[in-house]
Amino acid sequence: MDVKYINPFIAGFLNVCSMLGLAGLQRTGLVKRAKLQTVKDVNVIIGLAGDIKGNVVLSMPESTACNIASTMMGGMPVAQFDLMPKSALCELANMAAGNSVSRFEELGLLVNITPPTLVNGKKVISLVSQVETLAIQFNGTQGTLELNVALEI
Amino acid sequence: MNDSIYMAPFIRATVDVFKEMLDLTVTRGQPETEGDSFASRGFTVIVGFTGGARGRFFLDMARETAVKLARSMTGEDYQSFADEEVLLCGAELGNIVSGRAITHINNHQPGLNIRLTPPSVFAGEALSMFNVRLSSWSVVMETEAGPVKINVAVEEGKK
Repeated sequence: MDVKYINPFIAGFLNVCSMLGLAGLQRTGLVKRAKLQTVKDVNVIIGLAGDIKGNVVLSMPESTACNIASTMMGGMPVAQFDLMPKSALCELANMAAGNSVSRFEELGLLVNITPPTLVNGKKVISLVSQVETLAIQFNGTQGTLELNVALEI
Repeated sequence: MNDSIYMAPFIRATVDVFKEMLDLTVTRGQPETEGDSFASRGFTVIVGFTGGARGRFFLDMARETAVKLARSMTGEDYQSFADEEVLLCGAELGNIVSGRAITHINNHQPGLNIRLTPPSVFAGEALSMFNVRLSSWSVVMETEAGPVKINVAVEEGKK
């Protein structure tokens, strides 16, 4: 997988996070996996079609999800992971993907995204993509989260 | 928006694929309304689509049903829904059903040019799916392997 296809996702995500006040987000690691699988409680999936085909999944524990939603809504406390934080998380993923896609356009690649789908549950096992996946791990004041990029190129 | 443009091809594709690939007859289909969140029966295949219309398709069933479907698909015996091949069978089934349905929609709606994204499979306890600003329709289909629910959500995009 070419790094030029990964960087727009990282840049787009970090750009949107800083716009939304999710400060102090640090990249802590990069893991290569043979396929896209997550075991986290909260996953937001965005599909990609066009010049690039694949899936991007933002996955995190429920605590991180609540903290992020709380920060996005101006510090309003989020005790329960209900519709409001779910909606906020979807919006974050949508904005990050949109931002990344516009960066691809600068590289001459036209990519379409699907609306975000948030999946949450307990003891989740999943199989999102059968292709080589890069998981970029972040750590911030809100907690840890992972940006999974699986592209079928 | 006319929901039958999208829903009917998915219903037909599911019934046909279940008959041809799995030798399962859908005996009854019952429309169902969804709340804000989609509560899963435990095993859900998600296929997104984008292009002239953006949205996604869910194929949802109990974990035991997923194991049964995988058995009739491959002829092998699986102990658990967590077996990778069960997940793969689910993904493939979602891909085939939505591929057929979208091909039909594209053929009958010139210029719409919808494209699919690769399928994802989720299994777990108390699974729920959430979409913002998408209206969705569900149909529960009864089969010998157990009930299977399909759900289609569409957001009209730029033409």
